Formats: sequence, structure tokens, C-alpha cells
Amino acid sequence: MLNIDGFAYNNRLRHVHPLEKAGFAMITMFLCLGFSLPVISYLVIILMAAAIVGCAGIPLKIYLKLMSLPFTFLLIGALTIAVSVTTQGVDAGWLAGITVSGITVGLTYNGLATAGGLFCKSLGAVSCLYFLSLTTPAVEMTAVMRKLKIPSLFIELTDLVYRFIFVMLETADDIYISQSSRWGYASLKTSMKSLGQMTAALFVKALHRSRMLFIALSSRGYTGQINVLAPEYTVSVNNIILIAVIESTLLITAVLLEVGKIG
Amino acid sequence: MADYILEAENLNYAYPDGTQALRNLCIQIPKGRKTAVLGSNGAGKSTLFLHFNGILKPQSGTVRFDGKEIRYDRKPLLELRKNVGIVFQDPDSQLFSASVYQEISFGPLNLGLPEQTVRDRVEQAMTATGINELKDKPTHMLSYGQKKRVTIADILAMEPQALICDEPTAWLDPKYAKQTVQLFNEISRNGTTIILSTHDVNLAYSWADYIVILSDGRVIGEGTPDSIFTNDDLIRGADLEKPWLVDVYEILAERGCIAANMPLPRDKEDLLKLMDCHDKSGGEQENYDYSTVGNARRERNKLSARCKGL
Repeated sequence: MLNIDGFAYNNRLRHVHPLEKAGFAMITMFLCLGFSLPVISYLVIILMAAAIVGCAGIPLKIYLKLMSLPFTFLLIGALTIAVSVTTQGVDAGWLAGITVSGITVGLTYNGLATAGGLFCKSLGAVSCLYFLSLTTPAVEMTAVMRKLKIPSLFIELTDLVYRFIFVMLETADDIYISQSSRWGYASLKTSMKSLGQMTAALFVKALHRSRMLFIALSSRGYTGQINVLAPEYTVSVNNIILIAVIESTLLITAVLLEVGKIG
Repeated sequence: MADYILEAENLNYAYPDGTQALRNLCIQIPKGRKTAVLGSNGAGKSTLFLHFNGILKPQSGTVRFDGKEIRYDRKPLLELRKNVGIVFQDPDSQLFSASVYQEISFGPLNLGLPEQTVRDRVEQAMTATGINELKDKPTHMLSYGQKKRVTIADILAMEPQALICDEPTAWLDPKYAKQTVQLFNEISRNGTTIILSTHDVNLAYSWADYIVILSDGRVIGEGTPDSIFTNDDLIRGADLEKPWLVDVYEILAERGCIAANMPLPRDKEDLLKLMDCHDKSGGEQENYDYSTVGNARRERNKLSARCKGL
């Protein structure tokens, strides 16, 4: 998670307008989810891999590692869909199956196709989200949310939670170091105890911090709403044209494939 | 126009846990000057600052800004906070946003300024504190010194009449500490009143125009740096130390290496010039002006030979 955050601030697409990046990721994702076509899913996966590794400059090894996280999860999910159970016996649609006392467990062509399609579709959607989170820092995402007129309460919460995740991690790290330097994690028993104490200390510190934050905000004229300005980004016509071309190509391919399927 | 920007009269404040933080405290902060508030831990410095900004309401006594008593209604409070800004000691409690730019824009936006003015002010504050290159960095990736600068820029962007800074040089390395002090001098040149609390007597002595010493919720001494730091009883009573300059000056004067009845030197250069001048005049010169003698260092060897008796 922290790794992703680091890349978000340090990639070659960092200074591209966040709305352009968000638009690109979101439209691609909707196309991928909207059309149940394996070809589109493959295209989206390749497109996003090219954008993330090629354009944003995220190392391929890191990207593959990140993709492997949902990969295992999706594989297990897809397997449960691929496996069919029936009492009707094996027919032509079955690829393989074992029948034990009238119940058949096995793989059908249809089941496999559904599972495969779903797997690729999810992976495509995930890669779209990866594109967004690897190229766009959280603060810029909230700037986009502000532009899209999402309720300010939601945005303020997102901002504060994001900021204080790091403060809490830092505090937890400090406590951990101070505990382990005094043999706090020497045995399982002391580890459990130290961990419990750390959790308690974090709660107290969080409470203290929120109080201090409120004081600090009030002293700068806070009256219940956090108003901030995002830096100004330059809109790139070239980028918008490029995005439009890519998305319409995807859309046309998808429509043609759908028409072909019906025809 | 009042001569004092912030005044407190018979201020009393006790925290809910019973700690009496301020006891009948009376203080007057001169306008447009550099004031240092000294005092040991728990002397009431931070509590006093929170009163100046209207965050805390005195349990008895009054606080005045620019000669007018503070009213604790919404509008006058906002007006006060526009004019009196506090930079808190721990930057992690002040920085609420992960974006440096957003963080700095918060204060001026609350003043109801138009967007372009806010953007200009944010840029100016970033330039003044030298953090332009941090604009695109998230606050959690900054060093302590950088965070500290962002917190100062936060308040600068609001362009307050009085800037209060709680222990600005604590935990800073010497380089950053020096830059921070220089920054305060620059801000002060525009007529902004600066109030800072510190444990560093040397900093307070060389930097401030006016010194206030707090102890146990009371003001136990106030005045010019010279008058404060030559008062041995006061310094001891407040658990403070003498600035090394005053210490060295007094020893040198005692031993006859420099004239005793001169204005106290404010920095190392002053002291060297003083020694230098005494050396040249053979201890005769009575009314000495620091600005008239240049390049003291050239004579330093001669001088050290003379003072070898130490």
C-alpha cells in the first residue's frame, strides 16, 4: 500500500491533469465491465500494462508483483465458478467429471468459459484501478472528487484519513522501536503484551492528536468546513485526443464484436 | 493605535485536571517588535499563546488585542484569528493535509479571500519560507525541518499582524534553526509583531527586542535583553542560564580586558569589536559605538595574546 503511494508521487505521469487520468481509467474500466467480451478484457489488460509500465515508468517487476496480489484471489474465485455439480449425469457439454453415487462433479465448457471471462474481466478492471492509484496521488484524487461535486464531508474525511494513516504508522513505528529496544518482543508472551500496550497507546495518542488538530485548525479560522485549493493543472488537448481515440477504438471493437456475436 | 498589540490582565486559567496554568498573569507585548517568552516546561507559555488566539477563554481576567478587549463571539473571534496566528510546536498536529499546497491555502481561504488572492498568498508564503520545491510533495514524505517550514508558511499566508511561534527551533539542526531565525527577522521587517517561546537563552538574547520570563503561570520579569540577563536573581529564580555572551562579557569586564560601562554586546561580532576597540584605545574609551569599528577579526591574535591572563 505504501509502495503504491510512493509511486503515485513519483512517476512520469505525475503532472498530467488528474481528471484526464481518472477519466481514462474510469471509462476503460466501464468498457471492460460493460461488455462481457474476453477480447476487450485482454485489450484492456495490455493497454493498462503499457500505460503503467511504458508511460508512467513503473518497473515491470513491481507491476507484476502488484498484479499477482489479485491474481491468486481471482484464481480461487474463478475456480469455484468453473467447477459444476449436477445430478443429471455427464452430457456433451462436459469436459471432465467424476460421478460418485449419482452426483457429478467436474468441468463444463460453459462453466470454464464463464470463469475465464470473469477472470479476465476482473483483472482488466483491477489494472484500470492500478493505473489510477499508481499515477495519481490521493490528494489529487480528492481534488478530482471536489471538481465532480462529491459531498465535501466525504472528501474531508478521505483527506484526513489519508493524512493521519501516515502519522499513525509513524507513531506505531516509534512505539515499536522503543518497545523492542527494551526486549518488548523477545518472546511470544511479551510480544502479545507489547502489542496490546501499543494498541492502547495508539488510541490515546489518536485522541490527543485529534484534539490538537482541532485547536490548530480553529486557530486558523476553521468553522466546520475544510476549504482548500488544489494546485492548478494544465489541461492537455493532446492527451484528451489520445484518450478519446483509445476509448472510441475500444468501444467500436466491442460493438463490432457484439454485433458479430448476434449475427 | 495602541503601543501594545496584545495585552493580558490578571489572567487565570486552570485546566480541567486541576493544573493551574496561569495565575494572575499580566503581560504587554509591544507592537511591531520581536518578543521572546522564556520559561521552563509547564510555565504556562503555550497556555498563554492559546489565550492570545482566543482558543482558550480566561476563567478570569481580560485579553486585549490592539487595545480592544477580545469578545468570544463567532465573528470577533474569526477577526482575532485572522490577526493573530500561531505556529504550533508539533508540525504533525498542525498539518492536516497531505498536500503542501492545500495545507497552506486553508488559512487564507477561511479569511474569505478570492481564489486568485489565495493562490498569490500561497506562492508568496512558499517563497518566503523557501519551500517552493516541496509543492508537489506529500507532507508525510517531508523531514521535520521541512514540515516546520510548511507550518510557518501556513500562518504567513494569512498575513497576521502578530505571529506567535511555539518553540520554533526545538529539534531543528543548527542550519535550519539559523534559517528559521533569519526568516523571523525578515517577517519582522514588514512590521509584523513576532512572539516566540524558547528555551534557548542565547537565541532569545541575540534575537529579541523584548523578553518576558514566565514561571509557574506568572510573569516574573520583563524588559530589554540587557536588563533581563544582567539580573542574576531573576535568571536563577526562573531556572534559566545566562547567555554565554553576557557571561563572557562580564568576566572580561571584571578582569579589565574590556571596559565595564559599555552597552552589552548582542552577538559575537559585537563582543569582538568591543575587545578590539578596548585593545586599541588602551582601555580609555568610554562611549563606544559598535557600528564605527570594522573588521575586528584582523586584530584577534593580538587580542588573544593580551587576554591570555584568563
